[in-house]
Amino acid sequence: MSSSLEMRRAVVIEDDPDIRGLLVRILAKQGFEVSEAGRGYDGIELVRSTGAALVTLDLNLPDIDGLEVCKLLREFSDAFIIMLTARVEEIDRLTGLDSGADDYINKPFSPREIQARINALFRRAAAPLASTGGLQLAAQDDLARAAEVQQSLLPQESVNLDDYEVAGRFRPSRSVGGDFYDWYPTRDGLHLTFADAMGKGMGAALIAATVRAVMRSEAGRADIDTAFEAASRSIEADLGQSGSFVTLFHARLDAVTGKVSYVDAGHGLALHLPANGDVRRLRSAGPPVGAWVGRWPSAELLLAPGDSLVVVSDGVLDAFGNVEEFTSRVEAAVRSQTSAEEACEAILRLAPADMAEDDVTAVVVRRTDAIGT
Amino acid sequence: MQFSYELKDSYAEVKSSGRLNMVAAPKLRELVSEVVAGGNSRIVVNLEETVFMDSSGLGALIGCLKAARQAGGDLRISGVQPQVKMVLELTNMDRVLAAYDSPEVAFSND
Repeated sequence: MSSSLEMRRAVVIEDDPDIRGLLVRILAKQGFEVSEAGRGYDGIELVRSTGAALVTLDLNLPDIDGLEVCKLLREFSDAFIIMLTARVEEIDRLTGLDSGADDYINKPFSPREIQARINALFRRAAAPLASTGGLQLAAQDDLARAAEVQQSLLPQESVNLDDYEVAGRFRPSRSVGGDFYDWYPTRDGLHLTFADAMGKGMGAALIAATVRAVMRSEAGRADIDTAFEAASRSIEADLGQSGSFVTLFHARLDAVTGKVSYVDAGHGLALHLPANGDVRRLRSAGPPVGAWVGRWPSAELLLAPGDSLVVVSDGVLDAFGNVEEFTSRVEAAVRSQTSAEEACEAILRLAPADMAEDDVTAVVVRRTDAIGT
Repeated sequence: MQFSYELKDSYAEVKSSGRLNMVAAPKLRELVSEVVAGGNSRIVVNLEETVFMDSSGLGALIGCLKAARQAGGDLRISGVQPQVKMVLELTNMDRVLAAYDSPEVAFSND
């Protein structure tokens, strides 16, 4: 929910053009910047793109049921939703449902009634712990806490590894997201995990947290193939019937030799950037974990002085039409920077926050140039 | 995103158009499970007009494939557009979800 009064945006979802026009006028008069949609799916996209604070939603839409629209909106939006219906008898039934709407109004309505209801909604939100507004704030509080927890699960301290720089950046499309990365020092060097759980929001975030824990629990196994096989079995069991999956890139670095052993399960967006030479995209060896029965044989590469290993999420890929362009743009972004930190920032800039629909994440492991240090 | 289906001689064709994303994915799952429940487990999802698919969309296709196979049939895809092809290749799922040029040829060999 946007609390800033100067930027209040509203979306009117209504198939009747007359009623739609009326609602737009009423809301505009109340100081909202109003967008309108005649169909449910278009309305959902509008709420997403405008970040609206208020939605009026007709129950009967041509393409999708209003209740369904409400449910889908609640997956990403905290906007106030006022549902409109022409059937008075519907209101009682709706009030008893956990539809996600904040208020119900039956048609025909008077402009003053709408105005009064909207004012009441925003007033309640401004007064903490008042009935509905309080609950909304409590839910927001939960979400804020979840976002904090997710951030705290990312590696906090920089890696203290001679001749290597390791950096990561994560920008969820909502408060929390399904992307994550993790690394920790080992006796020989470093373990790195990069994952993208299907979907977005809280559900994906819960899966991401589970995957992080499972991958860490198998870190002690000497062999990356055995470790990954055990981890993938646990993850598959955890995903169970959820119908979800996770793409995973897991690597083990031997710091002395620069040897990187890695497993790619359906991710396919890791790049090896040699100091001198052509970029190489590391192809995935098998399907995402949980998507399909698979085998994920490990592969190896050598990280020479000046080389970088770059892992990026598909939120960046979406900014480009194809893998080739993605690869060359990420390569250019990384090569234009001197540190791993700056390289991550440059990669995130390829998918600006106002354009990207998905979580956007990048990790860069750079072996410093022996001559430069 | 819109879905429709049509029963053909030896398979059911499900047409999907627009963006197959988090919003549309549950609808596809629902429609295909209805089709399967109706006794048609040989399914072709026609993706000719699907311009974009995200991970949730891929998840829906995989879920539908599992449902079709559990019912003794199969699910195949046709008319795959560049962005969808890219997602299938990146995730290695192109080996599982067989792509055909047109719905008519998807089941023509069996």
